[in-house]
Amino acid sequence: MSDETPVKAVQVKLVLLGEAAVGKSSLVLRFCQGDFNENTSPTIGAAFLTQKCRLENRIVKFEIWDTAGQERFHSLAPMYYRNAQAAVVVYDITKAASLEKAKAWVKELQRQANANIVIALVGNKLDLVSESSSTPATVTPAAQETETEGEDGEDDSAEESITPTPATESDDARQVPTAEAEAYAKESGLLFFEASAKTGHNVGEIFTEIAKTIPFDTITPEPATAQTGNRRSAGNHENNNVNLGEGQQAKKGGCC
Amino acid sequence: MPFQPPTRPHSANPGMNPSIFPRTVSSSSVYKHIPSHQQQQHQQNSNQHQHQHQHQIQQHKSSSMTSFGKTSTTEDWEDAWDSSSDKEDDIKATNTNITVNTNTSEPMEISKSVPIPVKIANNNNNYSQYRNGNTNGNGEFSFTPGSGSGSDIISGSGDKEVSASWNSTSYHHVSPPSPIVRPSLLQAKTYTEGAIPPAPGTSIPDSYGGKSNGTGSKLPPGGAWEIVEPSEIREDIQQGDLPIPEKVGKEAVKDDVEDILIDPLKLLSNLSLDAPQTPNSTDPSSSFPFLTPTSSYPQTPSTANSASPDASTSYTILPSTPRTLTRKEGLGRQRSVRTERKREKFGRVLRGRDGGGVELGELRKLAWNGIPEEVRGVVWMLLLNYLPLPVQPRLTTLNRKRKEYTQLVDQYFGRGLASLDQQIWHQIEIDVPRTRPGVALWACVKTQRSLERILYVWAIRHPASGYVQGINDLVTPFFQVFLGAYIDTDPELFDIAHLPENVLQAIEADTFWCLTKLLDGIQDHYISQQPGIQRLVKRMGDLVKRIDAPLAAHFEEQGVEFMQFAFRWMNCLLMREISVKCTIRMWDTYLAEGADAFSQFHLYVCSALLVKYSERLREMDFQEMIMFLQCLPTQLWTDHEIELLLSEAYVLKMVWAGAENHFANLPNGNQGQFGMLGR
Repeated sequence: MSDETPVKAVQVKLVLLGEAAVGKSSLVLRFCQGDFNENTSPTIGAAFLTQKCRLENRIVKFEIWDTAGQERFHSLAPMYYRNAQAAVVVYDITKAASLEKAKAWVKELQRQANANIVIALVGNKLDLVSESSSTPATVTPAAQETETEGEDGEDDSAEESITPTPATESDDARQVPTAEAEAYAKESGLLFFEASAKTGHNVGEIFTEIAKTIPFDTITPEPATAQTGNRRSAGNHENNNVNLGEGQQAKKGGCC
Repeated sequence: MPFQPPTRPHSANPGMNPSIFPRTVSSSSVYKHIPSHQQQQHQQNSNQHQHQHQHQIQQHKSSSMTSFGKTSTTEDWEDAWDSSSDKEDDIKATNTNITVNTNTSEPMEISKSVPIPVKIANNNNNYSQYRNGNTNGNGEFSFTPGSGSGSDIISGSGDKEVSASWNSTSYHHVSPPSPIVRPSLLQAKTYTEGAIPPAPGTSIPDSYGGKSNGTGSKLPPGGAWEIVEPSEIREDIQQGDLPIPEKVGKEAVKDDVEDILIDPLKLLSNLSLDAPQTPNSTDPSSSFPFLTPTSSYPQTPSTANSASPDASTSYTILPSTPRTLTRKEGLGRQRSVRTERKREKFGRVLRGRDGGGVELGELRKLAWNGIPEEVRGVVWMLLLNYLPLPVQPRLTTLNRKRKEYTQLVDQYFGRGLASLDQQIWHQIEIDVPRTRPGVALWACVKTQRSLERILYVWAIRHPASGYVQGINDLVTPFFQVFLGAYIDTDPELFDIAHLPENVLQAIEADTFWCLTKLLDGIQDHYISQQPGIQRLVKRMGDLVKRIDAPLAAHFEEQGVEFMQFAFRWMNCLLMREISVKCTIRMWDTYLAEGADAFSQFHLYVCSALLVKYSERLREMDFQEMIMFLQCLPTQLWTDHEIELLLSEAYVLKMVWAGAENHFANLPNGNQGQFGMLGR
């Protein structure tokens, strides 16, 4: 397993997917910079960040592609999940529709992404619901203070057709019961978390757990594969010193 | 059915006035309301009418001498961008202007001031006349201080005696040498190093500055180059540094909003550029628009006050009405000489010829180099063909368009939020609070409601694209610029609750229509699959391969795809890369470039921007590059850097536009050889 790199960082390409304004960027910001902003500009295309994660026997360096959530940008997604070793699919526990979107993403990933991809399903905005309102979560409900206002400056209002807004202001803003999502995650073979980018609750755990789950044996031998398929992909740049040759790049330029 | 403002379930909106959209503005009643100082000014203006008339005659003469005047018809104001090729016209206009200048016969009345310090900028095309007439082979244009009174030197048409120096070192008398000196002519490296930039908008003459650079490229209409002396620059910088009084409430609203509301061009009458007292201010052919004795130029607002009595006699472009002065004091800003010069020219063009409307070609030429804040809103409207150029249909069109928008809002929002297309509305609703987070203006409840309406009405009327994230960003420059016409403070600091409802409504309508015009040009950016962006990013990749082969190779080697960073550059028109202030400056040029600038010219701007960092990028690995590219070190950029970028883009465009067949058939091994900017 850790044949050559107990010390050296292993690169993992990770992609975040999910409906708009469920808090993807906020989760990444919390994970990478320990920071949180109520209002952040919507992500356009995708944002890229890195963060290291230390396990007992190795360091995992995440290359994180935080994608835009709006449906219009969907066609860009394959570029980002192509060759990804891990994916975090995010939904908003205060919005039932966002779980449906998450399920669609999971399906797409399982159909089109790496066969070995590790997928985590994450219900964000745990801080918006109080302990009592949630069916006892597997994760400790540590949201210290229940805030009634929209966390990312979103989710204030009516969800399209799904639910005619059961008032977001009361304690039970939760629309997705923990058990339901967890059951789905289990049957689909996903890691599952409920987290809060705002409080930071469970955020680190997501990435640590992913790092532990990734079958590193299959991705460490990179140099050979880099030559063939991955050159144009965003991932696997551990070995980017490998000379990829002038001839190859010329080939790409000629076509239209 | 009276307009019912949408009620929002989630955010109580106490500031929302039910009458936010009064059906009509009674123009007659508003017209009657003319503040006394305004009347006074009208009086003044009519006193000057005689004088002005002369100018107009002469202007008319000059325009009839030339053939470039495209008479604008009133029919096609409706929807079409006027994308006609004004470039040709511009060039013609440039040439003829020169002729006009030499034929001038109106005596100049510049005797009182001491024009010893002479400032020169070749911002104006006319300068080439002086180059021909007065410069020696070294490109020197020398003026000897103290060699005579101003009237001796600048008199009649006898400009042949004028000698001044192009050498910027001779300008030191204007003000103490500045510690902050930006390079004044940092221009595209692709031009011959060391050569003085040629007259803008013209072909590069072989004799230019005694040197030939022989590229034959055209410069941007209006020119990207301007000789600027250090002191001027210092003033500009100071201007930015001076604290803007934080008027955020009612006191920031101009007295004459109602007038401006009805006719945005009304604000011209408040600007010094309308002041006919300055003998040179109205007639291009009778003056040296770029010669301005700076000694009398106010250095501080207080001296501005004391200097104003001289304004009518001295050869300055000082504010000449009390109204303007107050405003300036209030702003606490210095007006740099360069800015004054610019304002003067805009005033001339905006007033039109013989009341016959604005000459679009001239306006574009000027706007390319940046539009003074005071007239930016109206110039944008004109360039976007939202506001008709001829005087006659202007007011009716504006009125009609605003009414039309109100009706649209009525139509879509009239039955409450529940009747909206929930998918579109939901996305807009979550994005509006995330638009320009942290900026006071955009945190205002009323601004956010306006933004929602603009976005929704646009989206519902453009079902093929609908609302796409990023469009919300594109609204903000329009809104801020148009708002700026009505207030005396930085729009971003302004609390919009203090604005009269009808004014806000007008701003909103104007913003909507102008946004529509802009998006019309880039509609395929936002439809399914976003083919417009895909295509542009692809072309950008191809172009960079040609102009900077080593960088393209490095990208390839590291696995960086253009789509990974350039997508956002296209989708948000670089608004995530540069500040709104810089964006606004950039749009001056885009709008001057014409209808397709937001896709075509933008491509070259993006490429120039990327290539700018070529050296640094080539030392980075994949991660560093992506991180760098999504957070470019452009936060501190000012108009100066933007103008430099625009010039570089213009050069690229001149060389590569229409040459794209070459991209496709790059010979495999040879790409590097043609690299233009490649190092």
